[in-house]
Amino acid sequence: MRHPRERSAHPMSRRDFLRRSAGAAITLPSLSAILAACGRPGESGGGGGNGATGATGERVLARPDNPVTLPMNGEPIPTDTPLESGTLRIYNWSEYLYKKVINAFAEQYGVEVELTTFNNMEEGIQKMVAGQVQADVFFPTTDYVSRLVAADLIQPLNHELIPNLEANYWRTFWDPGPWYDLGWRYTVPYTIYTTGVAYRRDRIGDDEAAAAGYEMFFDPTFKGAVSYYDSYRDAIGMMLLRNGVTDPNTEDPAAIDAAKDAILQMINENDARLTINGTYSKLPEGEFSVSQAWSGDIVGAQWYLPKGTSPDVLGYWYPEDNKGLIGNDTITIPRIAESPRLAHEFLNFLLDEEWGFINFRDWNGYQPPMTSIDPERLIAEGVVPESLPRAVVSEEMFAEAYVQGELSAEADKLWLDAWAEIQAGG
Amino acid sequence: MASDLETTTRRGGARARAARSGVWYPRWYWPSFTAPGLVWLGLFFVLPFFVVLSVAFGTVDPLFRTPLPVYQPWYWDFATFGETLSKFFVGDRIYLSPLVRTLVYVAAASLVCLVIGYAVAYYTARYAGKQRGLILMLLIAPFWISYLMRIYAWQSLLQPDGYINDMVSLLGFERVDWLAGKPITVVLGLVYGYIPFMILPLFGFLDRIDQNLLEAGRDLGASPYRTFRRVTLPLSKPGILAGLVIVSLPMFGDYYTNDLLGSESTSMYGNLLDAAVYEAGRGPEAGSLVLILIVLVMLPMAYYLRETRRSTGGT
Repeated sequence: MRHPRERSAHPMSRRDFLRRSAGAAITLPSLSAILAACGRPGESGGGGGNGATGATGERVLARPDNPVTLPMNGEPIPTDTPLESGTLRIYNWSEYLYKKVINAFAEQYGVEVELTTFNNMEEGIQKMVAGQVQADVFFPTTDYVSRLVAADLIQPLNHELIPNLEANYWRTFWDPGPWYDLGWRYTVPYTIYTTGVAYRRDRIGDDEAAAAGYEMFFDPTFKGAVSYYDSYRDAIGMMLLRNGVTDPNTEDPAAIDAAKDAILQMINENDARLTINGTYSKLPEGEFSVSQAWSGDIVGAQWYLPKGTSPDVLGYWYPEDNKGLIGNDTITIPRIAESPRLAHEFLNFLLDEEWGFINFRDWNGYQPPMTSIDPERLIAEGVVPESLPRAVVSEEMFAEAYVQGELSAEADKLWLDAWAEIQAGG
Repeated sequence: MASDLETTTRRGGARARAARSGVWYPRWYWPSFTAPGLVWLGLFFVLPFFVVLSVAFGTVDPLFRTPLPVYQPWYWDFATFGETLSKFFVGDRIYLSPLVRTLVYVAAASLVCLVIGYAVAYYTARYAGKQRGLILMLLIAPFWISYLMRIYAWQSLLQPDGYINDMVSLLGFERVDWLAGKPITVVLGLVYGYIPFMILPLFGFLDRIDQNLLEAGRDLGASPYRTFRRVTLPLSKPGILAGLVIVSLPMFGDYYTNDLLGSESTSMYGNLLDAAVYEAGRGPEAGSLVLILIVLVMLPMAYYLRETRRSTGGT
């Protein structure tokens, strides 16, 4: 039977197809759209490549050893574009941007700023694709950047309007640019983070924690007090490293299977729980002793400590050789932005030394990759608790650590099936 | 047959009365009263159900793997549905244990709801006297607070160093980690969440039982127990069935109770569904899980309909 599971060689018709069929209306036009989008029937994509094609042909999956230059969809807005006076609409993760920073921008430019939030990337992407949210600024993860370009959902940036990137940020992010977007054509970095293991220093010492590393999750001493992220890429990704697999984007079914079994063992034998707030809220409250942690979460955890508890109880382990998980988030300007010039100004504003730092220090906990942020100063000034030296991300780490890139559709299915089994409780 | 005849004559009588009083209604007049209900059903049941079918038998966006519903039944692809179904019964059967868990938890929780709920409803209907209004109000009172807040309260009560464990250790038992994926915690959480829905319909039926029937039973020499078993219980059967249906149907799809009080090792059918909706690329699987669940809950529903039809049509 013919059916429309198909990719299109023409992003335009594919987009039309999406737009028409994404809603709930049962209309005949969507039939013609489906037929238009329908070339070859059957399975998607083959080999290492992803199932989709961009405007310039086959899309490749970006990796640090295989960085990509994204195709230009048109030109960036001209530098002399007048500043729009309307509302700047931001679409971001919830709790990921300090309100004071937004207000400062609104005041400086005399505009309104409207913040809409999503709780996970899937929700954010889905609403962007369906056109349910119309935004001027959008914060995707790196693994979605190439797809957003292929679908022409984000626009190229005018570098002249964002001088702060080269002035304030680590060189790796603008020369030659990050692996997922060489020449930073579409993105600027937002925050950087490592993924390690947070622990209560009043229940396990630093040396002991360093010796155990990922094995802390399996330590029966912490039975019932272990938290692990309810996020399949991070959960399986870390367990792969623990099992000695150094590619957190692996497509090897056996490796994925082994990681899955380890997570199930952790759940069933050590009563580990899958959570999202385990690190920043439940570990400081004392409910968990060990938790998988994004570095920004454990830095933010200091604000969740019960009254009278010293931040000294918080510890964070990240492999000493820096061969752990690392990542960064990005800021982009959607194609349909109504105030693209204002959006450029906002990007530049967030990359400002002062405001970027205030956003990090006073609210976010997630560090921006700024040259002015000296790791030692962060600790000395108490921005990051003294007990969390490894939660500070440095430029050198990016040379050694592993990033999580986009998976091919086939590999993603393997990962998701393994994850479904974990969620079913084995 | 007899009842058909009865309705016909009764309706005939009504029409004759209407004719006598000089009011005449066109043929479509009375049926048209169902229009709002039909529109409601069409908009909020038939249409959404069709969309679920279109998602389940549809595809995903090749780039973003968001679900792409296919609204043309001739293009429907049943591969994902088959694959989902096979996860219950073939190979590793990774979905079988959540299904079995769901059946067991729902059965256990409904039964506990029934036992506790019946006692409360019986007392309220028979012995509460002037206090019955107060009791009913108190039963509904927890609903003034959001379910989420109440479960959060339970979370802190059930913590390893919470009040419940303080009491447990005071009684000389070992502290229990209630929140580490204990089936009993999840079952009791379900009971706690749904028991008012059991009590209210039961109260309605028990309250309507004619006192004279009970007195007649006693007059004819039946013991209180025998009166209960032969008179009260059969008369409250529709209430029991209604209560069971009302509490068990939503329990089948419940995922937040386990999310908040259990863990992956107690995950239920609703958790599978929640997870499939949540992750990119699993839209059709989520749709398939919905369809399988619908078939599953149709079984108790069919039994309920058969029973109620028998009890209302049989007299």
